[in-house]
Amino acid sequence: MPHRTLSRRRLLGASLGGVGGALLGLSGCGASAGSASAGSDHLSLWYWKGSLSDELLATAERGVPGVSGLKVQGAQIPDSDIDSKVRTSLSARAYVPDITVANSDNLATFFPDENEFLDLRTLGAESVRSEYLDWKWKSCFTPSGRMIGFPLDAGPTALYYRRDLFQKAGLAHEPEEVGEAVPTWEKFIAAGKTLRAKVPGKPYLVSNIGNVFQQVLLQSTKQFVDADNRFIGDQAHIKRAWDLSVEILHQGLSARITDGTPDYNAAMSGGRVATMTTAVWAINGLKDTAPKTSGAWRLTTMPDGPANYGGSYMTLTRYCRDPEGAFAFLKWLLSPENQLKSYQEMALFPTTPAAYADPAMHTSDPFFGGQRPIDVFGPAAQKAPVVYFSPYEETANTPFFQELTNVELLGKKPDRAWRDAVNTAETTLSRLGVS
Amino acid sequence: MATVLDPPTDKQPLVRRTRSTAPGGRRRHVSPLLAISPFYVLFAVFGAFPVVFSLYLSFQDWDGIGDMRFVGLQQYGWLLEDSVFWHSVLNTFEIWFLSTVPMLFLALVLAFLLHSQVRFTGAYRVAYFIPNVTSMVAMTVVFGSVFAQTGLANSGLRALGLDGIGWLSSEWGIKSSISLMIIWRWIGYNALIFLAGLQAIPTEHFEAARVDGANSWQTLFRVVLPQLRPVVLFAAVTSTINGLQIFTESQVLFQSTDVGTTGGPGQEGMTIVRYLWQKAFKDHQFGYGAAMGWLLFAIIAVFTVINWRLVAGSDHDDRAGILRSLRRKKGARNGR
Repeated sequence: MPHRTLSRRRLLGASLGGVGGALLGLSGCGASAGSASAGSDHLSLWYWKGSLSDELLATAERGVPGVSGLKVQGAQIPDSDIDSKVRTSLSARAYVPDITVANSDNLATFFPDENEFLDLRTLGAESVRSEYLDWKWKSCFTPSGRMIGFPLDAGPTALYYRRDLFQKAGLAHEPEEVGEAVPTWEKFIAAGKTLRAKVPGKPYLVSNIGNVFQQVLLQSTKQFVDADNRFIGDQAHIKRAWDLSVEILHQGLSARITDGTPDYNAAMSGGRVATMTTAVWAINGLKDTAPKTSGAWRLTTMPDGPANYGGSYMTLTRYCRDPEGAFAFLKWLLSPENQLKSYQEMALFPTTPAAYADPAMHTSDPFFGGQRPIDVFGPAAQKAPVVYFSPYEETANTPFFQELTNVELLGKKPDRAWRDAVNTAETTLSRLGVS
Repeated sequence: MATVLDPPTDKQPLVRRTRSTAPGGRRRHVSPLLAISPFYVLFAVFGAFPVVFSLYLSFQDWDGIGDMRFVGLQQYGWLLEDSVFWHSVLNTFEIWFLSTVPMLFLALVLAFLLHSQVRFTGAYRVAYFIPNVTSMVAMTVVFGSVFAQTGLANSGLRALGLDGIGWLSSEWGIKSSISLMIIWRWIGYNALIFLAGLQAIPTEHFEAARVDGANSWQTLFRVVLPQLRPVVLFAAVTSTINGLQIFTESQVLFQSTDVGTTGGPGQEGMTIVRYLWQKAFKDHQFGYGAAMGWLLFAIIAVFTVINWRLVAGSDHDDRAGILRSLRRKKGARNGR
């Protein structure tokens, strides 16, 4: 019995010591520089699975080529968590990564806290500017002119369409012809009516109208809030996107299915939806969703021209232990050669146009009947407009997407839905200091 | 009947005994306090501090990184004017009612059946409890295909000659599908609680009822239910607290990544906690989210008291019902 008491005490003592030690350790680290890599021989990098090339990261872990003694170690964070994790570490001023990946719609949400990130111009970013897409480069800047992001990948858009269904409808069906026959959204709607009338099985033009709204929106240089922090979501550029989407619904051309649901998967594999208006990164999803439709799909220019949808950035936080080294790493990782490697390995579409000319990108894809996707996405990436995204885009556009869903699925009157969307967006934004 | 079951008053001597065996100075208290300190240290850091901090936060304007700005009661004022918030409150209550009432009733019937079941009771209990420990996210994927337009639920309805329902695209379809998921998940848990209560009822009562010629329903409603009141209160209170915090079902059923469907069409699946999450973690309005959390706390507190009153009824002594039922259970076990 005494022996047992002793061992229990020892156990208690050890565990208490452990807890105390851990707490001390926590505060000890927190008090130092604030970087997650403090006290180590490498820089820390946060990214989510699939956002960076695994092979290049493995190289950087052993040593970044061309920069002696520089090592970068990546930590995978689930993409749904990375934003809150970065924010948590920044507000705690502890365990902040030296380098982090930011999503396309996420970079702008850091604009109000732009000083938390290093201005890449001070590290000589201008010297590589000519290698990158102009609109992507410009989107890295905050309204006050700080460059807090570095171009990672791009998301050029295209019209994905079912060649077989277009052919059955008696429409132009080869990529160039379709591009010429459907130059505008109005012509797109007309083609949809023909498809529905002439093809057996009456395929729909689009899966839902939210996707069309999104694309028309991205073709506009203005979004919901301008650089002077004014709400412009009630203006003509948004109303046009709204009206076109509602028109598609009224013509009965929408399958009224939410993307990613079992119903969507069934409709796509069953050939009930004839087109998709989306970006280059949707290719793999489509191949997984509808493998049986391989060979039937083609790509062509989006009605009203291409835009960019998605694509990420890399940032350096102000806690970065070695800004020069970290920027050298970015330049190496995102150089044209390495973006080409990332495209081949991870299907990350390069932001360096030089890569588009490389024969390695000109492979034909049997899923698209042997068409070379780069022939459509390459020019699209170069023609995408320069768009200003404010920190409040998601807050502002959420009511519009919601009301479109209400119109589409619940039969709400479009005029009333539009007014409700504008009112909700205005009220919400006014509380965030947007006038 | 409750008075018959009251245990002997062994409370007083127990208290006196502990007091009398705890003499000595402070040093004697050090080791037991140290022994329980890991819990209190962790609780203070991860439990108490966030609670206090969120109250503080609800008076601030904060985007999660920059400086906080004191705004007084403004967040609460905005919240009271926010139609989406009130819509989410209404949704939450509708879903809570649609799920909790049938669930507690079915759980009671289930517990009663389990209680009389002789063979494989253990297997049944495990089977009914499994939904409660299954990953909710994985199950929502399954339910997503069950409730799809061409899914299992509609196939079943069509097989019965009925029209399919827009489970995820109409107001009551959305609320029913979320409620069904909640029932599926919590029914086994509540059945087990009821079963524990049932087992505390002396078998003589069942035998007496049988001798008097009561059938199963009469036994359930006349004999079992009145004696289960404290357990029902416990189940009702916990179901209310859980039910008013519905999040995962609506979050995963209506993919959060797609801004067009936050909370489903018409935001009919938007619950209070789902809206809190959207405001705090998507729109980065942490003060607003914190204020919403505290309003939710107030709502839950009010409804817990109402529940308590309703189930405890006019019998004021039953406020100590849970404690008594636990003691009763102990007594019953000792008696065997």
